[in-house]
Amino acid sequence: MTALFEARGLSRRFGRVQALDGADFDIAEGEVVALIGDNGAGKSTLVKALTGNLDLESGQILYEGREVHFATPHDASRLGIEVVHQDLALAPHLDSAQNMFLGREIMRPGILGRLGFMDTPQMRQRSAQAFTELGSAVRSVVVPVGAMSGGQKQSVAIARAVAWANKLLFLDEPTAALGVVQTRNVLDTIKRVRDRGISVVLISHSMPHVLEVSDRVQVLRLGRRVATYQTSGTTIEELVGAMTGALDNQEGAA
Amino acid sequence: MSSTTEHQKAGSGAPMETSASHENLVERVKAMQSVWILGVLVVIIAVFGVLAPTTFLTPGNITNIAQNVSIWAVLAVGMTFVIITSGIDLSIGSVLVVSSVVAAQVMERMGDQGWGTALVGLVLSVVVGIFWGCLNGFLVAKANVPPLIVTLGTLSVALGVAQILTGGLDVRSAPAVLQDNIGYGRLAGVPVITIVALVIVVLGGILLHKTRFGRYTYAIGSNETSARRVGINVDRKLVQIYGFTGLLAGIAGILSLAQYGTTTIAGQSLTNLNVIAAVVIGGTSIFGGQGSMFGSMVGLFIPAVLQSGFVIIGVSPYWQTVAVGSILITAVYVDQQRRSTASGGRR
Amino acid sequence: MRSSTFRIAAAGIGSVMALAACSTGAPTADSSSSGAAGGSNNKTIAFVQGVAGDEFYITMKCGIEAKAKELGYTVTTQGPQKFDPTLQKPIVDSVTASKPAALLVAPTDVEAMQAPLEQAAAAGIKVVLVDTTVNDPSFAVSQISSDNIGGGKAAFEAIKKAKPNGGKVLVISVDPGISTTDARVKGFEDAAKADGTYQYLGVQYSHNDPATAANLVSAALQKDPDIVGIFATNLFAAEGSATGVRQAGAKDVTIVGFDAGPNQIKALKDGTVQALVAQQPAVIGSDGVEQANNALTGAPVEKKIQTGFTIITKDNLDAEGGQAAYKSTC
Repeated sequence: MTALFEARGLSRRFGRVQALDGADFDIAEGEVVALIGDNGAGKSTLVKALTGNLDLESGQILYEGREVHFATPHDASRLGIEVVHQDLALAPHLDSAQNMFLGREIMRPGILGRLGFMDTPQMRQRSAQAFTELGSAVRSVVVPVGAMSGGQKQSVAIARAVAWANKLLFLDEPTAALGVVQTRNVLDTIKRVRDRGISVVLISHSMPHVLEVSDRVQVLRLGRRVATYQTSGTTIEELVGAMTGALDNQEGAA
Repeated sequence: MSSTTEHQKAGSGAPMETSASHENLVERVKAMQSVWILGVLVVIIAVFGVLAPTTFLTPGNITNIAQNVSIWAVLAVGMTFVIITSGIDLSIGSVLVVSSVVAAQVMERMGDQGWGTALVGLVLSVVVGIFWGCLNGFLVAKANVPPLIVTLGTLSVALGVAQILTGGLDVRSAPAVLQDNIGYGRLAGVPVITIVALVIVVLGGILLHKTRFGRYTYAIGSNETSARRVGINVDRKLVQIYGFTGLLAGIAGILSLAQYGTTTIAGQSLTNLNVIAAVVIGGTSIFGGQGSMFGSMVGLFIPAVLQSGFVIIGVSPYWQTVAVGSILITAVYVDQQRRSTASGGRR
Repeated sequence: MRSSTFRIAAAGIGSVMALAACSTGAPTADSSSSGAAGGSNNKTIAFVQGVAGDEFYITMKCGIEAKAKELGYTVTTQGPQKFDPTLQKPIVDSVTASKPAALLVAPTDVEAMQAPLEQAAAAGIKVVLVDTTVNDPSFAVSQISSDNIGGGKAAFEAIKKAKPNGGKVLVISVDPGISTTDARVKGFEDAAKADGTYQYLGVQYSHNDPATAANLVSAALQKDPDIVGIFATNLFAAEGSATGVRQAGAKDVTIVGFDAGPNQIKALKDGTVQALVAQQPAVIGSDGVEQANNALTGAPVEKKIQTGFTIITKDNLDAEGGQAAYKSTC
């Protein structure tokens, strides 16, 4: 099976810290891949590198078999790749519909649109539709995001990414700050997104969540991929072992 | 929370609020700083109306007040944009002066008193204003110097340039058509300068609240990182916003020439602070992301009405500055309290 | 929470209004009831200063109030925070709206204040220009100001009194183009050239910077060590001149300053300057009220009055010189 998205030998150094040390990564179409690793293993750095948020010193990124370069997040977006950052990157003073369409506003038709006027009703309606489809906890598209609960903010950020990701979605620790019900919601969302044929990369510290939703697990340690497992054939103990380096099997069976 | 008249355009089960035309509209309106401060303005007007019924609430005095805030109103439009991006522009008074100096010198050399000369003056003034505004924007966005420092610098550089150009002497000639028609002309009893300002304010309000340019202005002030991540060219937007403010300062420069007939090089010394105070009183957050054009206009009228009223009832000038300062602090304090209760306190 | 916020805000704004209300009785405010305005026997005079809080204008206000009391008028005084027409115009507009019988005003710009003051005159208010003027003062019933040329002459007289044997004299002014200081320089120049025993060395501009004035004076003393007198047209020029004299090691140079605010009087007491040319702001003020009263009662009005000067030296500081000093309160 050819990978939808593949990275080979990515390296990046911050001062004396080798954040990425020849890291590899791959994901197939419609697949959910969990990316795990201890703190400082390079997970967030890898996500940034894969989504145009970070310059690389060496390595190559392949999209549908062709080599690509992402100078900005916009370049990744254009290929249908979206990311939900740990800090969500929402504008707190804007409402959820405004956040949803930020940078991609729907303009009024005709001359008004060319003058810069936006089609607010349509953006609100489409946002509401997106939230409903995801079973989101968001109940209003006209309340500033800053006034929402953590779970609602999370779901706005995910809904925004899902709405624009038609190929690949990165979720960086989406459940870290959430309660039980909201976490459930996020996991259901991941499955729903996968069912639409969109690949999902899940970064998480929670092994049960990883085992529940992913098809494969890739383990990062010290800036490189040290193991890849089929989720169906692995256990929490094995994953933790790979993360900490207790069982060192370089590049395990794929 | 929400209860009635949900728009069910989304189709399926969950009720989703998709418009502000809602029962808790009242709640939301009450939460708006600009409405709260509008109440303050109404109270102030009422108090003076009672204290000086025959002199304060006269058409003559009201048009005077409107005329006297007109130039500041034009500047406040730009300042509202800048402060919403969490920036500040201290240089507007100096940019106004240098724009009017360049325009006045050229118009003086042309010698003619007609509309053609006035039009050349307007174009020059606007071009000079845009130049200084874009310089501010470029330094803020590309050189990463804080806006407070950048505009403090251009404040003195622009004023210095105006002094160099003139040798420190005001140019005291503006085409007669400008002074007669714009500065002191009236249309149906309303000062023309006020009408000009009103048109600019309305256009500015539409630009801020209805267009993508305005939306990005809020986004940059609310969370610059997220604005960059969604692909907004933040640097270019900042240059445009500061440039726009400079453009308005250029227009204000011509209006000032029309109203005063001189370039007021030694004047306009408190213009920047007065305009900033008005915008902040009107509910625009100095931390960015929040504010409205309507609020800025209400904020502009509070000090103006206070001053007019105090002068009319004969209060000492010293107390006037105390009162305006107190209102400023009270307004921002209330705003902070309101915001921290409303949104769990960001900053 | 919200309601308590509102209460605090209400208290804040209430206190501001209360402050405003009680300030009408405070010593800095010159109260008059608004009820007096607008009537046929309107007895209010408004005074708009060039800048609030300046001793020159405060002394003028004292003169106005004393004369107004004598003639049975009440006075309200207003002034902008800075000497700035963009700040003064709204004040004049509001004063016009309050319809006083007469307006005494020190315009901050010859051009910018023209139209607002014409408007006041058109509203039937008797306008008297005090100290400064405008391009076309024909609307005003009277103009009262110091004779600045005479002031320059008086400065020369002061030098002549201290150095009767003649010698070289120099002027340190502020900037070219300021009408008042230019007139003072001209008055001094004319008087010095008319007197054959003195040699006029010309005028230098300090740009209102004491350090520049000091450099100018010490350089001038290098070239002409026998300078006997320096006329400094404002306070900074005087302070800088004194420093320059000390730097050059020269003694026995008479420095004459202008105006007599507390800082200038202190400079005189300290020996920084040897004489001061004091204007008579109180006289300007009381003359202004008198002319306004004449205009209101139909008596003949003097279109233009120029007031004189008092020379203050250490010797007369306890007598008429001290009385000529500007006041910070009445």
